[in-house]
Amino acid sequence: MSIRIEQVSKLYQGVPVVNDVTIEIQTGEFFVLLGPSGSGKSTLLRSLAGLTNIDHGRISLHGRDVTELPARRRGVGMVFQHYALFRHMTVAQNIEFALRIRRVGAAQRRRRRVELLQLVALEGYDERYPSQLSGGQQQRVAVARALAHEPAVLLLDEPFGALDAKIRVELRETVRAVQRRIGMTTILVTHDQEEAFALADRLGVMQMGRLLETGTPEQLYRYPATRFVARFLGAANLFLGEVSRQGLHLGAATLAPERAAGVTPAGSEAVLVVRPEDIEVAADATELGAHNFASGTVEALTFAGHQQHVSVRLDELSRIEPATANAASAQRVTVDALRSAAEQMAVPLQPGARVTLGVRRVHALPTPISSFNLMTCSDNEAAQLERSPLLAQLVSSMQARVIRRGEQLEAGICVLPLDELAPTAIAAAVEHGARRVLCIPAGAGVPQRMLVHAGEAVRRADLLALVSSVMRHLPIEATAVTLQHPQASRSEVVETQRTLLDTRAELRGSHGLDLRSDRFLGDLPAWLGSVVAQPETALLVLGMNPTRDLAARLNSEMPMLFRSGGHVDLLLAFGRAA
Amino acid sequence: MSRREQSPGSDTLGRALSRNLLIGIALCYLVLFLVLPLLAVFTQALAKGLVAFSTALRDVDALAAMRMTLTVAAISVPLNTLFGTAAAWLVAKYEFRGKGFLLTLIDLPFAVSPVISGLIFVLVFGARGWLGPWLGEHGYKVIFALPGMVLATTFITFPFIARELIPLMQAQGRDDEEAALSLGASGWRTFWMVTLPNVRWGMLYGILLCNARAMGEFGAVSVVSGHIRGETNTLPLHVEILYNEYNFVGAFATASLLALLALLTLGLKSLLERRHPELRGARAEPGKARLAH
Repeated sequence: MSIRIEQVSKLYQGVPVVNDVTIEIQTGEFFVLLGPSGSGKSTLLRSLAGLTNIDHGRISLHGRDVTELPARRRGVGMVFQHYALFRHMTVAQNIEFALRIRRVGAAQRRRRRVELLQLVALEGYDERYPSQLSGGQQQRVAVARALAHEPAVLLLDEPFGALDAKIRVELRETVRAVQRRIGMTTILVTHDQEEAFALADRLGVMQMGRLLETGTPEQLYRYPATRFVARFLGAANLFLGEVSRQGLHLGAATLAPERAAGVTPAGSEAVLVVRPEDIEVAADATELGAHNFASGTVEALTFAGHQQHVSVRLDELSRIEPATANAASAQRVTVDALRSAAEQMAVPLQPGARVTLGVRRVHALPTPISSFNLMTCSDNEAAQLERSPLLAQLVSSMQARVIRRGEQLEAGICVLPLDELAPTAIAAAVEHGARRVLCIPAGAGVPQRMLVHAGEAVRRADLLALVSSVMRHLPIEATAVTLQHPQASRSEVVETQRTLLDTRAELRGSHGLDLRSDRFLGDLPAWLGSVVAQPETALLVLGMNPTRDLAARLNSEMPMLFRSGGHVDLLLAFGRAA
Repeated sequence: MSRREQSPGSDTLGRALSRNLLIGIALCYLVLFLVLPLLAVFTQALAKGLVAFSTALRDVDALAAMRMTLTVAAISVPLNTLFGTAAAWLVAKYEFRGKGFLLTLIDLPFAVSPVISGLIFVLVFGARGWLGPWLGEHGYKVIFALPGMVLATTFITFPFIARELIPLMQAQGRDDEEAALSLGASGWRTFWMVTLPNVRWGMLYGILLCNARAMGEFGAVSVVSGHIRGETNTLPLHVEILYNEYNFVGAFATASLLALLALLTLGLKSLLERRHPELRGARAEPGKARLAH
């Protein structure tokens, strides 16, 4: 293992900008950290270089723990966006800087310099000053300088960001070739998806300080786990579909899933990702080669060189529901398709034309959070729920429907106001088949931490799927809590410890996320009491069994939650009814 | 402005007129406030011939004043180079609480009248000041002696170097230093090998201005020096004494030395600016430089 980042967190004014990130990077691997600006990717890279200190976690390079080492002792090579060449030094002096610091002899320095200049194809530029070089040449000198002292790893912070498009591609190839030739473990930070695909052996997508997903470019593009990654890596249509034993249902089409839907059991709602290039457009259903799923009207055609973007407004009869938020578009669902030159020749299109749509490939996100149903008694109550910051953040990229109590329950997470009437409402929702219930008290702020307690006989995989989904949508610290009797025997203590470690390992293994773990000495009411007593807003995730006397149990076991005064959000995950 | 917008037809002639008018006014100002006084200094100094001029300059007291001026500048300019660089480094490279307040403090000597600054030192270090008696008991004389003059001069000229370096360092950011650190350089080495070379011309520029002011300072030094001829007299003070004694040739001969120093500073300053245009930018638009950072 070349680089090991373990549960690294960095807080900025109390808010995590890097949140429990764990990554392992192999020797010789080219790893790309991809994310929008402000996602914490540069902070993470700088903390590897020792230029930013971290608040939690460990970093090791080639098996050596460097967490406490200052930047100059870490032995990394760093390349900055704006080159950061020393202006008053020649190219030769710049490249030899690290060697001069290490008191390497002049002859040896010269040999290394010649070698490096050859590597970055700048032979003969030794005596120039940085101001006499173009941007691309300067960045190549910066790469050579970063490699001079044979660092353990090479770190590149948006190295092509300041260059124009053509030079960027050229330099990208140079960097890739250099990296291959010397087999240097490399991490590159970028916000450019195309760049990430071109360079990465493996890439990690970051958002809100969280490392959402890692994998090869192809894995992440074909099988994303989150809405964000699906849409950040290329375009994607996101729909709500259904999973059954036959496969994935999208409108009129049924497709076999390419991967086992995993956590999404048959009979439940799923978020389906359809890439624009996987949509076939035809005038008539008989001409379709792929599964017909809907029909509609061509709204717009956009020329994009060798490809053509087609935007199709679906007929209401198609009954396709988007998985993304946007109440206005709920009535007017549009689908984006991308057509090759051959397809354009075969089926010429005009705006306003009636078309039938086929789908070649569908991927179901492995998230249990597909949509939200706001169960309320009045419009007023619904509006209040929608205004809560927690829900606002969650539904910013998801569909939320408002349903009156007593109406038919739809698939998705059930949302209720958290008040003294909540136990009855929860029990009623569970009776109607709800398996996940989110209760939000009136006036609750943004939760600052998430506490997870597996509790009763919920499958750990189910609970972790839910927890990881929530973690990927909220920039808060997550902690798994186990309860331990104050007079627990030694074997019980060991058992508790093992459960926590297993939980962390499983979350890391199946979702690539990490969380904190904590032990509480006492029983459930005592723990809930202590949570409620804290002044900060918390999101409590509890696993429960859907027994018959649920309302009474809720009232007797956790009455403090329903009278907490509004700073604990409650997310209940129910196991399947026995 | 608004008139020009209303009548676009007549603007060529109007613009040429107003431009010439403005240039004329500026020239008048220059002649009146700069060229004539300078001429006056030199004509007065040479009014009784070169011999009288050189005799006046070779006067014992004049030589002592020169020595004093050079000594004060030789101590306070390096001190301010040190303090100014440290302050600029702190302000430009680190975030900390009270940064705005520190910036205000750096500018304080510009805002306070030099005479008041001098008085402050008298109040603190004078014979009846807070620290004066105690220092006196231990045999240290601050006011009406060299230490007081150095203190006053250092105080007055403090902002010159810091103010020159802050926008420059801010515009340069921390990338270079971080690159040096990641390449294995210690903080001290980074400073000598990277930070200092990056700001050396700005620093020289600051030193030049600081030195000119240190040699020419009158108000604050006048209060703390006590005007003891041959002992605590600097050139500007010497000019005043001679003038009050109606020794015009002596006064203006000494003044011409100071005027020459000013001209030399100006010449060097514009030479530096021509060679390093970034200095002009940094000085004229500190706000912009900070934004860019």
